[in-house]
Amino acid sequence: MALPDELVLARPVESVQARRQGRRWRLAGYLAMALAMLVIGLPVYWTLIAAFKTSAEIYGPPTWFPQAPTLANFPAAWNAAPFARFYLNSFITTLGGMAAEVFFAVTSAYALAFLRFPRKDLVFLLLLAALMVPVEITIVPNYLTIARLGWINTYQGIIIPGAAIAYGTFLLRQAFKALPYEVIEAARVDGAGHLRTLVSVVIPMAQPAIVTMALLSLVAKWNDFLWPLIVTNTANMRTLPIGIYWLRNSEGVINWGVVMAGSLFLIIPVMIAFLFVQRYIVEGIAAGAVKG
Amino acid sequence: MSGTSGGDRAPVCIQMLVREEKVKGDPPMEQRKLTRRQMLRVLVAGSGAAALAACGAQAPATGPAPTTAPGGGEAQAPTTAPATAAPTVVSQTGSTVNITYWGSFSGGLGEAEQAMVQRFNEAQNEVKVEYQFQGSYEETAQKFTAALQANVIPDVILLSDVWWFGFYVAGAIAELDGLAQQAAVDFADYEPVLLNEGVRQGKHFWIPFARSTPLFYYNKQLWAEAGLPDRAPETWAEFSEWAPKLVVKEGDKLTRAAFLHPNGASYIAWLFQGVTWQHGGQYSLPDFTMTMTDANTVRAAQFYQDTAGKLGWATLVQELNKDFIGGVGAAMLASTGGLAGITRDAPFKVGVGFLPRETSFGCCTGGAGLAIPSGTPDEKKLAAMKYIAFATNPEQAGIWSRSTGYMPVRISTKQSPEMQAFFTENPNFKTAVEQLPLTRAQDAARVFVRNGDQIIGKGLERIIVNGEAPATVFADVNQELSTAAAPILEDLKAVEG
Repeated sequence: MALPDELVLARPVESVQARRQGRRWRLAGYLAMALAMLVIGLPVYWTLIAAFKTSAEIYGPPTWFPQAPTLANFPAAWNAAPFARFYLNSFITTLGGMAAEVFFAVTSAYALAFLRFPRKDLVFLLLLAALMVPVEITIVPNYLTIARLGWINTYQGIIIPGAAIAYGTFLLRQAFKALPYEVIEAARVDGAGHLRTLVSVVIPMAQPAIVTMALLSLVAKWNDFLWPLIVTNTANMRTLPIGIYWLRNSEGVINWGVVMAGSLFLIIPVMIAFLFVQRYIVEGIAAGAVKG
Repeated sequence: MSGTSGGDRAPVCIQMLVREEKVKGDPPMEQRKLTRRQMLRVLVAGSGAAALAACGAQAPATGPAPTTAPGGGEAQAPTTAPATAAPTVVSQTGSTVNITYWGSFSGGLGEAEQAMVQRFNEAQNEVKVEYQFQGSYEETAQKFTAALQANVIPDVILLSDVWWFGFYVAGAIAELDGLAQQAAVDFADYEPVLLNEGVRQGKHFWIPFARSTPLFYYNKQLWAEAGLPDRAPETWAEFSEWAPKLVVKEGDKLTRAAFLHPNGASYIAWLFQGVTWQHGGQYSLPDFTMTMTDANTVRAAQFYQDTAGKLGWATLVQELNKDFIGGVGAAMLASTGGLAGITRDAPFKVGVGFLPRETSFGCCTGGAGLAIPSGTPDEKKLAAMKYIAFATNPEQAGIWSRSTGYMPVRISTKQSPEMQAFFTENPNFKTAVEQLPLTRAQDAARVFVRNGDQIIGKGLERIIVNGEAPATVFADVNQELSTAAAPILEDLKAVEG
């Protein structure tokens, strides 16, 4: 038999009762997963089918499939506002913002995890405090700063206030701390400077954490609504979430089919990004220190 | 389990990886110390420079005092430049004045608003308006608050009924009478009930633009099935007689209500305003004395509670218009602003009528109006007033009203042949307009007290949904409103004496 030793050994020890219990737990696990899928998936499904429904059907009794599927919502949404421009703006601000956030998070987390400097604990405490401040509080001071810099209605105005987020630094610092220190020591012994250690040792080993953090940052910036709305004025600087908001009526009856079609514009690129990037999270776990 | 084995093996690879550098680079230990110190020094120097830069940037912005700058337009221009990239350049050449207009209209309303701006820009070449969407009424007001502090303000701003007063008290919006005279605006032709809401101490601050009122909506199909006459009920007593015929119940559960209430977030306090007046009560007196505990106000709340409780023919829903269209309820009070959309999307014929009476008739106004920030330079103020004059002239008021469902703000608009034709085609809209002269401005408690709308709305939710005693709840609400009103009253004294 090609069975690994542990398995062959484990079998006789395991009692029937334990196995049954294990199966029960596994069933509970599947149930929980199905429930989570339902809770997360249902709104997405509802968005998807609503985009293909007529307004009358949406306002009628709920239906699980579009009774008279229509594609009219998509051109209606696309033509209601300059969505091509919104896409461009969203790409620029999201990718630029994410790159900046990842860069600052990686470098600052490295400093907090591996460098020795006075009052490091205080700096970390400050970071934790910044983590607790709700975004809404910082909007007005940020707006004033950006306005005085003359950055209202510019890309840097959208990107810079979110370029360094305490959350990213905190997440990566914890991840860096968990890395096997011997590896880093070994690199030092071999004469690696800080930059070399960071690029060749820390980043590859912490890849899953960095990719996860980058993805979280990507989604947060892609979906960010309030700050871009406040810091921009003209339609040619607006991002996708504001475009979708524009599709809603401020008073009276909202044409939900068109709004949902617009929401799909927003969802699809992020979903593609997720499908593409998620393997790096898995690969990172498999690689890292073990395989080197 | 894999951690230890990984830890053992990895260093070997790392050594191999970094060996290359060791050969090329200097001894790293010494260098590291140096860079750290250098780095700290750079950091300190950098933050100092940043602070200096911030001061430098601040100086020109606060230098020319925003409201009293003797230099007028030119002094102001550089500070507003970031918000309106193009305008400053053009306005200095003296040919066209470019102004920005912040508004809250999106979707169909946004398109109608852009069309209005376009007509204005094409009709003359002295002023060019740029319409900039700023989110909901709340977001627009919040952004305006921040913009005032940063001094990057628009030249025309749309403010809703609950927001303009706060900016008036803060001295942030300008008195418009002088400008109106220059722009030849005839205030006598505006619907007095709408115009007078924006008047303080005989001066105009807020010009009615997108104004609506509550309206009684009913489902004609369900009305016919119940054998009711094809009209809205005259009184609440009459509707209480009709309601049992409209209700569908499964056991104790109401599957179709005769009447729908909205929740607090959907402005139930606005719709309930008229109902309190119908019962002889009110939210507050003009001097900001809260009267939520007034016997008649409580009686109105008791009636609202009974509709959902004892009488059992009404229910509170999260999405009023959607549920009415979906047939969850047979009737509702809702804004005239939704009339066109509801008529279009409902699979049944929609009927409307005046609000039912109790001891008297009562119906309030609502919606938004236009204002000019006091920080706007004089030259732009006049340009802004010209736009407001255009947007509310009898012809444009008619176009806006017909394309959106808002009330025509001009008296003469109603007589125009286009409007008469529109009334013939849309008798429901005619009903809404006919109710307008009977409406009145809302009580200070809802519109002038910060968050007053939500305070009253939450109270009504407690009464209708939780079934708490109206007198107790409204005593709490009264207290909360009085507390919230105190600072505004103080500011108001400072402004109006």
